[in-house]
Amino acid sequence: MTVLKVNGRPVEISDRGDRTLADALRNDLGLIGTRVSCAEGECGSCTILVDGQPSTSCLMLAQQAEGKEITTIEGLADGDNLHPIQQAFVEEQGFQCGFCTPGLIISAKAFLAENPNPTADEVAVGMSGNICRCGAYPYIVKAVLRGAEKIRAVALAAE
Amino acid sequence: MAKHDKNIGKGLKVVGHGLHVKDAVEKVTGTIRYGVDYEVQNMVHGRIIRCPHPHARITRIDASKAEDVPGFIGILTHDDVPQNDWEAAWFNYRGKVLDGVGRFVGDDMAAVAATTPEAAEKAAELVEIDYELLPAVFCMEEARKDGAPQIRDEGNERDPYGVAWGDVAVGKAAADHTVDCDIFYESQQYAPLGRNACIAEWMGDRVNVITSSQTPSELRDGIHEALGIPLSKIRVQALPSGSSFGQWWSNNFMMIAVLLARKVGKAVKIELDNEECMATVKRRHQERTRGSMGCTAEGELTYFEFDHLIDNGGYGFKDDVGFFCVDMWGKNGHGDYQIHGINTNMVTAGCMRGVGDCTLGASVERMADQLAEKVGIDPVRFRIKNQIVAGDELRMQHSRHNIKGAVDEYIKNVPEHLRKDWPELFKLSAGGTRALLELGSEHFGWDQRWKGWATPTHSDGSIRRGIGVGTGAHVCGVEFEGASNAMVRMNPDGSAKVHAAVGRQGAGAETTQAMVVAEELGLPLDQVAIETGDTDSCPWNHGSLASSTMYRTGWASREAARDVKRQLLAIAAKEFFDNVDPDELDVDDGEVVHRDPAKHNQRIRFADVLSELRSETLGQTSSITGSPRVPMPPSTTFARQFGAQFAEVEVDVETGQIKLLDFLCVQDSGTVVNPQVLKNQIIGAAICGSGFAIYEEMIFDQETGALENGNLLDYKLLRCADFPHDAEVLFVEDPDPVGPFGARGAGESPIAAGIAAVAQAVHNAIGVWVDMPMTPERVVAAIKAERDRHT
Repeated sequence: MTVLKVNGRPVEISDRGDRTLADALRNDLGLIGTRVSCAEGECGSCTILVDGQPSTSCLMLAQQAEGKEITTIEGLADGDNLHPIQQAFVEEQGFQCGFCTPGLIISAKAFLAENPNPTADEVAVGMSGNICRCGAYPYIVKAVLRGAEKIRAVALAAE
Repeated sequence: MAKHDKNIGKGLKVVGHGLHVKDAVEKVTGTIRYGVDYEVQNMVHGRIIRCPHPHARITRIDASKAEDVPGFIGILTHDDVPQNDWEAAWFNYRGKVLDGVGRFVGDDMAAVAATTPEAAEKAAELVEIDYELLPAVFCMEEARKDGAPQIRDEGNERDPYGVAWGDVAVGKAAADHTVDCDIFYESQQYAPLGRNACIAEWMGDRVNVITSSQTPSELRDGIHEALGIPLSKIRVQALPSGSSFGQWWSNNFMMIAVLLARKVGKAVKIELDNEECMATVKRRHQERTRGSMGCTAEGELTYFEFDHLIDNGGYGFKDDVGFFCVDMWGKNGHGDYQIHGINTNMVTAGCMRGVGDCTLGASVERMADQLAEKVGIDPVRFRIKNQIVAGDELRMQHSRHNIKGAVDEYIKNVPEHLRKDWPELFKLSAGGTRALLELGSEHFGWDQRWKGWATPTHSDGSIRRGIGVGTGAHVCGVEFEGASNAMVRMNPDGSAKVHAAVGRQGAGAETTQAMVVAEELGLPLDQVAIETGDTDSCPWNHGSLASSTMYRTGWASREAARDVKRQLLAIAAKEFFDNVDPDELDVDDGEVVHRDPAKHNQRIRFADVLSELRSETLGQTSSITGSPRVPMPPSTTFARQFGAQFAEVEVDVETGQIKLLDFLCVQDSGTVVNPQVLKNQIIGAAICGSGFAIYEEMIFDQETGALENGNLLDYKLLRCADFPHDAEVLFVEDPDPVGPFGARGAGESPIAAGIAAVAQAVHNAIGVWVDMPMTPERVVAAIKAERDRHT
């Protein structure tokens, strides 16, 4: 068995060398929040964090993730307390069907880690690696800006 | 006759508020389950074997090599399939599940089942099929000619669908200016984010089907037709889908899953991959408009004349797109148009969001703009002059398919006293574009920004900017395929559940239907839950199509809630309010109250009323079930939704690249039940329409009709930075006399409006009309052609 570290915990997956990380997350570990749509790294639905970097898990082999810190959408909320970006997506309704949403929220988390106080234009470009076919884009931008505000407020309160 | 009450929908407690959607937390945490996320114990996996030829008949199938694949379980061929035709809603599919003939590259020919998806894929590759090749045809014009290869037993061309009113010869004689057109539209692909899967599980002679679908009842009907088994033995559990726009209704791969599961005696899951979703299910039609229009020197339209072709691909059977976009210009007294549905050897085409409105509608808008330019009237005023408002006649009644006759038939058995409050049929009951154009042009600063036809608002080097306005209209659901029903049940604790078989493709019906019921029952939204997918608990419903959900299903949900309320108040009156007339009572925040607190000031919790009911009926009934008790009027004859959109674009005349700089959407969907949900949906329509206008195009191999760009790498969609993030949505809420709390439909008029706005803005920026999609190559070619014409 191969041991991965997913959302802070060690987990085992099969040693098969022919499967993608997305497949292993979904089917071995039941982490269905990692969505697969295009399976060619184009749509961003399957975005996860690998050692903090956003990656399309449909293009990565599961074995390549051995020893790395994997964060999926399931790893963001603290129990019933949503992550500030998730809460902001709820409040701004930064989605319609919701299929692309986990990938977008993970991308937003990585983006805001790099740029905690972005302009709306910067957010729009930063979120352009993920496709939202429903076209919730303006509300996604609002949600990421609101999420940034919330994260800054939390940081300020902690100081 | 119903009074047009402008105050319907005002001052409500739930309706009209931007409440968070019910599944928001599931969506942001990734826990919501779509069809692909479901499995049942001991299920096996199916894989469809696809036709490699555009038109071919199977002569031999040999599965012996496939049988050797470890995990192989069985194969389904056309010999195992009942040779019944089944039909999807609106003739989006008509045919047999498998009949041994492939009608496009990628068509379903057979299917295998195996223990793993990988084994199924391998087995599918090893099934040997010999084909007799048949002649194929890909072009609509060729397919309708005598002697063309015949794709269907019924022939390639449907009877024309047409509408005619007035006398076109009179309209032509009265015209001071005329324009004509011949415009071809490429196919747009649904390009779904999110694949679909279907699980079929037989229990004896009953089958349970789990899949993502916008039309649970229609899917059950389709299985019934395909297999010839009673509806009572079919249970569909429709799940939320990814982006759909009409793609996931009832699809043939679902029928294959049902039959394959029966054949192998195990639950089967078939999951389509991304290319299968894009290349083998369906698409928007290729379409072609030829026609002419005329107007007076004062800019009053005098006639329309159109001949419009739609390509149905292999299994589409539609004939009737687009009469709403024509109706919208109904001030014009003379019109004649025909639609021809034609089959080709290409992937099936069906209803994609705004079917007809995005194509025929765009043709009408472009021709109207050309007339406006000739007479020197700006496009806002030209629309106000010629488009209908509440009270105007709807021209679609003059249908060659005799819609008026069909409606007369529909109402014949409705007693007069149930019709007395209906709006006048064949006249627009509410709304119109005028208020949208007035509000929108003021907000957009149209008069300040408008520099004249074909005149850029800004010019710098190779950069030209231009503004444009477009309008769209659509029906709010249609009654001809059946009356959408809903059921509401009040539970012993006073909470309520709505059972309404509609889609959860992101348009928020799971929330907005519950809001309508919560409002009617005086409950907070949290006390109202909804089941949308289970045909075992939901009555028949047309589903989420033709912009019907809020209008026709919302009407049914409200009527069902009214029925619950009526029963609840009757019990309360008898048991708690001294046998007063139940009409003196009302509901408020989960309690029954007297309308005049001076007479009775007590407040009785719903749960207490239901306990009383339980004791009186010896525990036989502990809940109240409600259904609509009156017929819904035939709303196709009076209800419309309208959108007007304003856009500014920037075109680089050297590279042909178009950027969208500014967008304003103005929408009349009557009362807005949830502004947050609806704004999102309207913007989504503007973005999907902009994609149709500038990027999206299915590219087909000329020799085989096979889709060449069936993936999201080669099929380009708008990204986040491609659309103005500060785009706004404004509402004009002219309440509808029939819709729930004055609401109407919403999803399809805004896509048409956006397309027309972008097309006109590009024309105003560069001075030429460009056929869609206005890709850089086409923009540069159109500019060059215009330059050549002048030299």
